[in-house]
Amino acid sequence: MFDYYNLEPLLMWIHRTMCGIMPEWLAFTIEGIAVGIFIMVMYAVLAIILIYMERKVCAAFQCRIGPDRVGGRGGLLQVPADVIKILTKEIIFLKNSDKFLYALAPFLVIMASILTFSCLPWNKGGEILHMNIGIFFVLAASSIGVLGILLAGWSSNSKYTLIGAVRSGAMIISYELSIGISVLTMVILCGTMDIQEIVAYQENGWNIFKGHLPAVMAFIIYLIAGNAEANRAPFDLAEAEQELTAGYHTEYSGMHFGFFYLAEYLNLFITAGIAVTLFLGGWMPLHIAGLEGFNAVMDYIPGVIWFVGKTFFVVFLLMWIRWTFPRLRIDQVLILEWKYLMPLSLLVLIIMTVMKVFGLVF
Amino acid sequence: MTADNIILVKAEDLYNEASRLRYDEAQPMDYLRDIVGMDWGEEGLGALYYMECTATGERRVLKAVAADRENAFLPSVCSLWKTAVIKEREVFDFFGIRFTGNPDMRRLFLREDWKGYPLRKDYDMDSNPLNMENEVNADVTEEYTLRPDGTIEGRENVVFGSEDFVVNIGPQHPSTHGVLRMRTSIDGENIKRIDPILGYIHRGIEKMNESLTYPQTLTLTDRLDYLSAHQNRHALCMCIEQAAGIEISERAQYIRTIMDELQRIDSHLLFYSCLVMDMGGLTPFFYGFREREMILDIMEETTGGRLIQNYNVIGGVQADIHPDFRRKVKEFIAHLRKVIKDYHDIFTGNVIARQRLIGVGVLSREDAISLGATGGTGRASGWSNDVRKHHPYAMYGKVDFREITRTEGDSFARYMVRMDEIMESCHIIEQLIDNIPEGEVRVKTKAIIKLPEGNFSTSVESSRGEFGVMLESHGDKYPYRLHYRSTGLPLVDTMDTVCRGQKIADLIAIGGTLDFVIPDIDR
Amino acid sequence: MSTFKEYINGYASGVKSLLVGMRTSMKVFMQKKVTERYPENRHTTLHIPERHRAMLVMPKDENGNNKCIACGLCQMACPNGTINIVSETRETEDGKKKKFLVKYEYDLGACMFCQLCVNACPHGAIEFSNHFENAVFEREKLVMNLNE
Repeated sequence: MFDYYNLEPLLMWIHRTMCGIMPEWLAFTIEGIAVGIFIMVMYAVLAIILIYMERKVCAAFQCRIGPDRVGGRGGLLQVPADVIKILTKEIIFLKNSDKFLYALAPFLVIMASILTFSCLPWNKGGEILHMNIGIFFVLAASSIGVLGILLAGWSSNSKYTLIGAVRSGAMIISYELSIGISVLTMVILCGTMDIQEIVAYQENGWNIFKGHLPAVMAFIIYLIAGNAEANRAPFDLAEAEQELTAGYHTEYSGMHFGFFYLAEYLNLFITAGIAVTLFLGGWMPLHIAGLEGFNAVMDYIPGVIWFVGKTFFVVFLLMWIRWTFPRLRIDQVLILEWKYLMPLSLLVLIIMTVMKVFGLVF
Repeated sequence: MTADNIILVKAEDLYNEASRLRYDEAQPMDYLRDIVGMDWGEEGLGALYYMECTATGERRVLKAVAADRENAFLPSVCSLWKTAVIKEREVFDFFGIRFTGNPDMRRLFLREDWKGYPLRKDYDMDSNPLNMENEVNADVTEEYTLRPDGTIEGRENVVFGSEDFVVNIGPQHPSTHGVLRMRTSIDGENIKRIDPILGYIHRGIEKMNESLTYPQTLTLTDRLDYLSAHQNRHALCMCIEQAAGIEISERAQYIRTIMDELQRIDSHLLFYSCLVMDMGGLTPFFYGFREREMILDIMEETTGGRLIQNYNVIGGVQADIHPDFRRKVKEFIAHLRKVIKDYHDIFTGNVIARQRLIGVGVLSREDAISLGATGGTGRASGWSNDVRKHHPYAMYGKVDFREITRTEGDSFARYMVRMDEIMESCHIIEQLIDNIPEGEVRVKTKAIIKLPEGNFSTSVESSRGEFGVMLESHGDKYPYRLHYRSTGLPLVDTMDTVCRGQKIADLIAIGGTLDFVIPDIDR
Repeated sequence: MSTFKEYINGYASGVKSLLVGMRTSMKVFMQKKVTERYPENRHTTLHIPERHRAMLVMPKDENGNNKCIACGLCQMACPNGTINIVSETRETEDGKKKKFLVKYEYDLGACMFCQLCVNACPHGAIEFSNHFENAVFEREKLVMNLNE
């Protein structure tokens, strides 16, 4: 029924029309460029929305109002103004830094973030990078980010950044295990690694309901580990401004710093987006068995709104966590992973496998 | 009050006499309150040693004089009290008295290339023009030892070797609570040694005091530990009043006590906020500030100031309490009792906070006493050191309150002591607020206040420990020397002992729980 | 076995404490915000207590006369050299010599707001006002002449 909103026929029609008036290679090139620009714009716009949201949400948690001067009472133009400010700032190269790696690091971070971003299933037929091992690609691409962080910390040639980078490396590499295992749990449930098929599998019920107990646990593990992956409090010890001033990006300025900042917020969105894809049905609308009228109404809402809505819900959840808890210490972060999350996620993986084999999932 | 009873000892007998007092059978003077450097002109340079017996509260003052101004040497007492290391450095810094046997004879507050010793009376004020050069810190300290034949031998001790990975935490750093710099050598995430570098905002208040009249000296007390503004000023007012024989009204005593306790709540709320923020929890930070704002509003209504209170004056208080004061204080306490649960819910019970604080940065009772870590820090280690209990002043002898002590000595104990003290302060205020007697708030004093000759000292329990005033008067309208016992200096000195072997993140949390304020250290 | 039990208990109590924390922060999320909107609230909710010390002023009566007798006690009381009084001795109508105030210089930039001058004044000629928005662009503007 919601095929009505399927984007695939539209996109195919565009492609065919373009092939009709120009050679296919040119059509592909133009489409590639258009999609690339589209991703960049989306990326920037989402970052602005997320930063604004974070400011307002964190202000509310702290009994404050938040930005309310630039752009009317809501302070809507505060973030665009900050973006302009950061664009005009000088990019400073330090005297004893490794100039090439120093300049490369922010691009690695943002590249990893954009690659993962491209895999999100926005709508039926609305996935930018589609491959049959999509979720595997997401895990692989997101790991490039840590390389950028390590390089940034090392090439700045500062003690604070080095400590931040080493912390970040130790932490992200550990938490990738939990993420991987909880993703694997859902892959077992769905029987596929293709992101679109994972979503399609949830047509008659989101995974979190279908997989009930193990899925809920996997969801929680994913959220915790994903939070750590995104370097956000209470796992922000790579930045830990109270200890390391700004951690691995202490020495960066201007847009170089801006890239780290952007990537941090988009990683939050991506973490939430993958969580939505895996557990909350991606762009699938909410259906309640037995309520046909309600289900029909839900179907009229386009998939992209479902996806973005659910993602922002998870983002809010992550912000709530961030603005409540104090930061962990590095050894505690690792203890949490290796003593609590890892065993738990392995257990969940086994339970899920057994349940899938014996048909105990819906 | 009579002047302090001072026991004069010869320089060469100082160590033996101090040692005898320290290990006395009946009254071991195990707590060295302060060492006050002195320049007595013709008589020579010297120092006063203020000590106290923690068991009985008995106090003693030793005086030692080094007659040779050019080569002033005194024996160090740092093997008796650990706090003497840093106190003797302060005396050396300002008076140029070298202490034989002290392993660390660097300057404490001033630059290493400073010329002369500024608190000497013959110091040339123009000898150190503004120096824009970078200060290079030496990695070695000097130690002087006395040879048996009476000559002095110098040698160098290494602070940081070439193999140490030294990180500068501060002077501009988000969690040093001011311009404090800690040179920290680390091994991975573990701390090997901390060397605090002080003096970035040293203003020479003690030197300035020597040319100010007594009422004028009061103005600078609010600028020491600004979170204990009332208590600091209370201490100095008390000292001057007692020395001059001024009797203040009971109403003023009540008001002073209430204000001290309000200030303590204010300070402890800020402590909570800053500790939580140091540990990465930015939200509870604002809870503390929200309530602190209410206290500041109440205080401003009466005193006219929010940070610089300017309220206690010689002979009482500046102005009577505002008509709304009582009602607002009562409302505030009722409000605080309600919201304090939120504080505990969001932070105290939190598993992350507990993991970060419990068992971290343990300070033993012996170390706390020996290092002179007073206030909540000492009480968390089981050292009952509340001046309000042991040497009651103002109304504290007449109100009922509990001295909060714990025995663990870790960060969590330090945190809980202060959180419990908030409630205890509320309890004290509640007993006083409805019973403020009528009367004048300020007795008339002479236009020009002169104190009789002698040494006078008082101490109060400020928000973060024992704040002492040590005053020497030569009968003028100016103090000959006015020294403040800093509450924060021993606490900063404690950092190295407490932090060794802990993680960098713990350094911040421990610094937060020790709760020092820099302007109080850099007087 | 007991260590395993502790492990599980640790899990449970840890998760519980986190949930309690999140409940508290959500409670505050819903509460009224405490931000003061300065300067918009200048004429509405902003409350400056009367006793607030913002700058020294010398009140004048309706004829433009102040109570200052140029005795210089405030200048002597000031710990910071903030006040500088210029006076001259004139002969009054009944032939007595009396000091008159010519210039009462007050350096706001050096003032510590300690109130010693106000306390010292025998005639209540000076007091602190509530006017606290005193930022200026030039240092000279902070040196004021109060008896003008």
